[in-house]
Amino acid sequence: MGDSQYSFSLTTFSPSGKLVQIEHALTAVGSGQTSLGIKAANGVVIATEKKLPSILVDETSVQKIQILTPNIGVVYSGMGPDSRVLVRKSRKQAEQYHRLYKEPIPVTQLVRETAAVMQEFTQSGGVRPFGVSLLVAGFDDKGPQLYQVDPSGSYFSWKASAMGKNVSNAKTFLEKRYTDDMELDDAVHTAILTLKEGFEGQISGKNIEIGIIGSDKVFRVLTPAEIDDYLQEVE
Amino acid sequence: MIREAMEMPPKGGFSFDLCKRNDMLVKKGLKEPSFLKTGTTIVGLIFKDGVILGADTRATEGPIVADKNCEKIHYMAPNIYCCGAGTAADTEAVTGTHNFCSLSRCNQHVPFYFICLFSANFILQWLFLDMVSSQLKLHRYHTGRESRVVTALSLLKSHLFSYQGYVSAALVLGGVDVTGPHLHTIYPHGSTDTLPFATMGSGSLAAMAVFESKYREGLTRDEGVKLVSEAICSGIFNDLGSGSNVDICVITQGEKEYLRNHMLPNPRTYISEKGYSFSKKTEVLRTKITPLREMVEVIEGGDAMEE
Repeated sequence: MGDSQYSFSLTTFSPSGKLVQIEHALTAVGSGQTSLGIKAANGVVIATEKKLPSILVDETSVQKIQILTPNIGVVYSGMGPDSRVLVRKSRKQAEQYHRLYKEPIPVTQLVRETAAVMQEFTQSGGVRPFGVSLLVAGFDDKGPQLYQVDPSGSYFSWKASAMGKNVSNAKTFLEKRYTDDMELDDAVHTAILTLKEGFEGQISGKNIEIGIIGSDKVFRVLTPAEIDDYLQEVE
Repeated sequence: MIREAMEMPPKGGFSFDLCKRNDMLVKKGLKEPSFLKTGTTIVGLIFKDGVILGADTRATEGPIVADKNCEKIHYMAPNIYCCGAGTAADTEAVTGTHNFCSLSRCNQHVPFYFICLFSANFILQWLFLDMVSSQLKLHRYHTGRESRVVTALSLLKSHLFSYQGYVSAALVLGGVDVTGPHLHTIYPHGSTDTLPFATMGSGSLAAMAVFESKYREGLTRDEGVKLVSEAICSGIFNDLGSGSNVDICVITQGEKEYLRNHMLPNPRTYISEKGYSFSKKTEVLRTKITPLREMVEVIEGGDAMEE
C-alpha cells in the first residue's frame, strides 16, 4: 500500500491521514495478553491473564496490576516495560496534584495526564509511541469509573472493556453479560468467565490477576487464594 | 525534544544572583530586615515498644504569639513522624510552590532577597517536609514496602545539606519500621544524631534537664507519655518561645496514636461574668434582607407537557 512509504517516521502523516506507527503500536497491544475491566454499580474490577514464558519463572515476583493512588489502579495489555514507565509517571503526577490541591486526584484528571504523556510520545522526534493500552479503574466522588487509554493518547470511559488477544470475543461476551445494576461480586464472576473463554490451559489463582475497588474506595489486588475462592464459586 | 525523555535532576539550592545588588543597597543605607527565630520545644524518646514524640503548640513572630495552637508534629509516613523547630506549621500560609527550582525565579521577582528568605524559611520548612513525605510515598509504591526511618533521614539530611543551612529546620524524626524503633535529630546544616532521647528548639535545655534526670531504658507507654509531657511542660513554663499546649505522638509497630492537645496546661481561666459592653455603637437606621438565591419549590407529578 502507499502507506508503507510513510511508516518509518512517527511524525509523518500517511496520505490516508493515519500515523502508521500508532497503528503498529495498536497491533503490538493486540498481540499482548488479554486484560479486561468491568464497572459495577458499587465498584470496578480489572483482570488480566498472567501467562509466564516458562514454569521456571517465579510468578509471585510478577505483578501486572499496579496501584497508582490508594483509590486508583491500572492494568495493561502490550509491552510490560512501557507500562512500568507510564505507571511511574502517573504515580508522580498523582502525588504532585495532591501536594498542590490537597485533594486526591480525580480519576479523570489522572487519565487525562497519562494520556497527555502518551500523546507527547507520538509527536516528538526520536521517540516511539508506547506499546501499551491501559485500563484505569478508580473510585472517587463521581463514583466508580473505568477508562481505557490507547497508545495514541485517546481515552474513553467504558462500562466494560477488553484489550489484547481475543479482544473481539471478550467484548461480545461482555456485551451479552453486562447489566447496569451489577454488583461488584457479580462483576468479578463475569470477569473470570470472560477470561476463561479464551484461556488456554487450566485457569487458577496463579495465572490470572484481579484488582478490585469497592465503595470503601481502596484499590487492592486479590491474593491467589481469594481468586481461587472466586473460581470455585464460578464452577 | 521531550523534557521527560532526559530527566535532569532539578538544580537545588538558592540562587544567589542578587547578593551583590543587595550588598550595594545595604551600603547605600538600606536597613536589612532581621531574621526572627521562632521558639519551640520538641522532644522524642524511645520506650519499650516504640517511639514517643512531643511538641509544644506556640508559634511566635518576635514578641507576638502568632498561633496559640499550631501543629508541630508532621506526618512523614504512616509509621514515621517528624517534629519541626523553626516551623510556622500554619497551613493557611502556604502559597503552594512545592518545586524548589522555582525558588530561584522567585528571588528575582521579589525586591528584597532577605524578606523572601525570611518568609520563605517558614514556608520552606513545611513544604520541604511535605516534599519528603511525597518522595517516601512514591518510594513505597515502587518498592511495595513500608518506609524506613533511615530512608526519611537520608532524604531530609541531603536536602538540608544542599541548602547549606539556609532552611532553618531543626527536626526530631522518629518512627518504627521493620528494623525496630528509631529516633534521630537533624540540624539545619544536615548533620544528624541517633539517640534514645532527644530535644530541640529554644526550650531544648529545659526539656533535656527533665530527660537527663528521669529517663531510663524500657519505659512503658504511660510512663513515656508522662515523661514527655513533663519535658514539654518544662519548656512551656521556662522558655518564652514555647507555650500553650502539649501535642504527643506515640508510634509502635503497626500502630500510631496522635494525641493532639494531650495536655492543656494554659487554659483561659478568668472570664468576666458581667461580660463586656462596648459603648459608642453605630446606630442601625434600617434593616433589609435580600436572599442571594430564591427558594423555588418544584412540584412533581403535575400535568406535564403532553407528548
